[in-house]
Amino acid sequence: MRTVILASLRTHTRRYGAALLAIVVGSAFIVVTAALSSAVRDGLTAGIGEPYAGADAVLDRPSSGDAARLLAAAPGDDADAWLVGWTMQQVAREGKVIDSSTDIAQVPDRPAHRWQDLLDGRFPGAPGEALVDTNAAKAKQLALGDRLRIGTGSSALEVTVVGIADSPSNHAVASVYLLWSDLSRWADSLYVGSLAWSGGGYDAARSAIRTVVPDAEPTTVPAFLQELQREVNNGVDIIQVVVLLFGAIALVVAVLVINNTFTILFAQRSRDFALLRCVGATRSQVLRSVRLESVALGVLAAIIGVLSGLGAGYGLVALVRAQWPGARLGHADVAPAWLAGSAAVAVGVTLVAAWLPTRRAVRISPLAALRPDDSTQARTRTGRIRIAFGAVMLVAGVLGLVAAVATANVGALAVGGATVFLGVLLFGPILVPALIRATGPLTRRLLGPAGRLAAGNAVRNPRRTAATVASLLIGVTLTTAVLTGMASSRSAVSAEMDEQYSIDLTVTAQGPLPADAVDRLAAVDGVAAAVPVPGAVATIDDLAPLPLLPASADGDATVLHGALPTPGPRQVLVPWDLLGDGLEVGDVVPVTVGDRTRELRVAGGEGWGEAALVRRTTLDALAPAAAVHAVWLRAAGDADPEDLAGSVEAIAAPVDAGVENGLAKRSYVDLQLDVLTGGVVGLLAIAVLIALVGIGNTLGLSVLERGREHALLRALGLTRRQVRRMLATEAVLLSLVATVLGTALGVVFAWTAVRALVQPAIDGAGLVLPWGQLGLVVTIAALAGLVAAVVPSRRASRIAPAAGLSLD
Amino acid sequence: MTSLTSPQPPAPTVALAASARGLMKSFGRDDTLVHALRGVDLDLPAGRFTAIMGPSGSGKSTLMHCLAGLDQPTAGGVTVAGQALEGMDDDTLTRFRRDHVGFVFQAFNLLPMLSAAQNIWLPTELAGRDRERSLRERFDGIVETLGLTERLTHRPAELSGGQQQRVAIARALLSAPAIVFADEPTGNLDSSSSAEVLSLLRQSVRELGQTVVMVTHETEAATYADDVIVLADGRITERRQAAA
Repeated sequence: MRTVILASLRTHTRRYGAALLAIVVGSAFIVVTAALSSAVRDGLTAGIGEPYAGADAVLDRPSSGDAARLLAAAPGDDADAWLVGWTMQQVAREGKVIDSSTDIAQVPDRPAHRWQDLLDGRFPGAPGEALVDTNAAKAKQLALGDRLRIGTGSSALEVTVVGIADSPSNHAVASVYLLWSDLSRWADSLYVGSLAWSGGGYDAARSAIRTVVPDAEPTTVPAFLQELQREVNNGVDIIQVVVLLFGAIALVVAVLVINNTFTILFAQRSRDFALLRCVGATRSQVLRSVRLESVALGVLAAIIGVLSGLGAGYGLVALVRAQWPGARLGHADVAPAWLAGSAAVAVGVTLVAAWLPTRRAVRISPLAALRPDDSTQARTRTGRIRIAFGAVMLVAGVLGLVAAVATANVGALAVGGATVFLGVLLFGPILVPALIRATGPLTRRLLGPAGRLAAGNAVRNPRRTAATVASLLIGVTLTTAVLTGMASSRSAVSAEMDEQYSIDLTVTAQGPLPADAVDRLAAVDGVAAAVPVPGAVATIDDLAPLPLLPASADGDATVLHGALPTPGPRQVLVPWDLLGDGLEVGDVVPVTVGDRTRELRVAGGEGWGEAALVRRTTLDALAPAAAVHAVWLRAAGDADPEDLAGSVEAIAAPVDAGVENGLAKRSYVDLQLDVLTGGVVGLLAIAVLIALVGIGNTLGLSVLERGREHALLRALGLTRRQVRRMLATEAVLLSLVATVLGTALGVVFAWTAVRALVQPAIDGAGLVLPWGQLGLVVTIAALAGLVAAVVPSRRASRIAPAAGLSLD
Repeated sequence: MTSLTSPQPPAPTVALAASARGLMKSFGRDDTLVHALRGVDLDLPAGRFTAIMGPSGSGKSTLMHCLAGLDQPTAGGVTVAGQALEGMDDDTLTRFRRDHVGFVFQAFNLLPMLSAAQNIWLPTELAGRDRERSLRERFDGIVETLGLTERLTHRPAELSGGQQQRVAIARALLSAPAIVFADEPTGNLDSSSSAEVLSLLRQSVRELGQTVVMVTHETEAATYADDVIVLADGRITERRQAAA
């Protein structure tokens, strides 16, 4: 039998091409994922201990107040303390905002503890000096000597860039580093990841820390680093699992493609098998030979897949490292276990996909070889069991989805969705031909006889058609579900953001604004509306003086996206980042303007700039002659958040007014959703790609099978172009049916997901259909169908009428 | 499509459906060169039933393919319905076939996914003539003559071999082509079905005035023909008129 296996592999290799490609892509994806995640892990953990060199103890995530107290106490104790933490501030140069939200961190005071690697210039030695990260400097074109304005309003700080540095640790990197004396002004809004303490060994450090913060639990540096490393690894592991999930989806699609390939190939070779049986091969010999053939295919695919995966993975990492050093990718190092795993998956997937077709292949009786060839007449019937099973799955799946909506349970959603999908797949052999037949009148009108022949060809083997469609259906359903789900979440989030950041830009001053400020702000390019807000500077308990604004101003409807929170008659709303450390929600405190005082209850909020919000009547009572202390701005629809903030800052800075940029925060959330959608769709594209290879493959194999038919059609008067058009139409019909069905399913899944997951979190979230994107998916699928048909239809149209008829 | 008046042959006394002059056809090259036709001169008069006979490999199928415009001869010329086939490009040749030539093959005659009626209409549909009233009447007549009225909605898989060949004959006759080529039309049939198919072919010549050229290796089949041409090793070795 060995000669038979080798000979048939030689003869049929080209026909296995597409199946091979499908497995190769799937297994290469696994290796690439491993390479990328190892590089990310390496990048994230490299130099992770550097910022803590010289420390005796580390305090994990102290509150910003505790951190500030510890930093203040350390010098007195003859110790040193420094922190790894960040505050996000706007950075401007020469009146132009270069980044509305930049991470600012600390450069330790003592030279021995400065963990940053200085590349150029010197470390900051005095207040007003800044160290800038080299990648940030490249991205924003910062140079030594540049003057930067960090933050806005009364807390804004002017600094000079005196040094450029790189970070040895991806974990502690920031764009700008300041001395604590400068950084401490934003202590309220500081996020502290960890605080390092040096002086006298661990026990001394521990007791010194606990004197300042009694309930603190500092750890030794090695213990802290071990925990940190574990957290980073967990994070990478989670991402890796999510990415591999997409790999699994791609492999499921590959299974369908390979299964279809084997089914078609074995149907075409049934006479060969029968002949083998006639000349004395036993059933198990034939079975073994075809199984070995699939193993050989799987092994070949595994080798190519692993090698191309290694090439692509290492190449990609090298490319990213060379082109985007700021991405801080480390070195790729794929463990042998990954290579073995990927290869095993490739072989396993091939075997699973070939199992049923091989069993069917050997069931052929030896007599079949002696009968005239009627393999193309094969009409498979859809089994009753299959339909019954499909119906049960559909019903069970729908019940699961209903349960998911009712209980907001992710597990029920996933299981229900998968079950419905399987039900639809089982119904495929009935559903898909019915849908294709429904397009019959249209294709016939558009394309004449070639169109009708195409529709006929597409439905003649319902199982094959259904399997081909199924492979594309998976990718399209998931893609449209993600697109629709994202569009729905986005509209829900954006409604939420309208409430949270209801004002695009606020300009808030610690004193009355000049009379022309409103007009000048209204005239800024990109400002659609500007509303002056009256107010007065108030003292709330022992906070620094803060402008007190009314929750409603005349004409504020022209600037507000959503309603501002409404304070009660005896309430004052204080920005969240001023609360804590002494002033808590629910406290009743004196609020004083000049010589008038009211006792008001404190509540938290944000979205109106650095000011406290009270009722209009409260303000009138406290400050009868309120002057304009703030201007609220509405941006034009196409305004760039950073350019606009720059222009507004140019007017606000000279009068010491702070600018809060709600627009930038909203566009940041938008960007994140865009990146998420793009990433998911990009990962799904691999499954769609494999499915399209599958469509081309099915068509190509059908063309081989229908050689005589095409020859007959050519003899009877079908022109070459009509043959090509017929096959292209068949491919487009298959991909369109898959896309339309997939889109319908995807929208239904998205709807249930929105009902089950988004609605409980965000009130009033509804289904939003991204018509443009869905239209794009359908168009791309139709075009891809055309592309998939190019090679097969060229081959088919090249057949000479006489040559085809004498084939036997 | 302009009708060309062929200049070469002297005005024939009988109208010719097709003719060939110096027809040569070889396959392969160098070592594997095979000469299927080595110079064939042939006139096929209109309105007659001609059988081309010969053993396997005698070149009879190649001759038919060249005469029908399914294959290009290596040398020599073919004229069908007064038009020279050489020099026609693939599209022109395809259109010429669907307008002037009908085919009945040995096997694999019908498209499996189309019904009998759809198969019969296919060539005229491809030519965009399926809505012509005269064709509709001719269709009814042919279907009735061939006894297919009850079978029109069936697919090929649901028809017997003889019925399938009758559908193929109906398809070949529908457009009233200048010439019908039948390639071993009885090759796959039992003797009674064979007799039926051959009678129908002869009937179409006698009653509808069709020209039919049949390639066969069965002597029995050739007895239905008016003229018999015998081929061996790519040359015509015998021409005879069967029982008048």
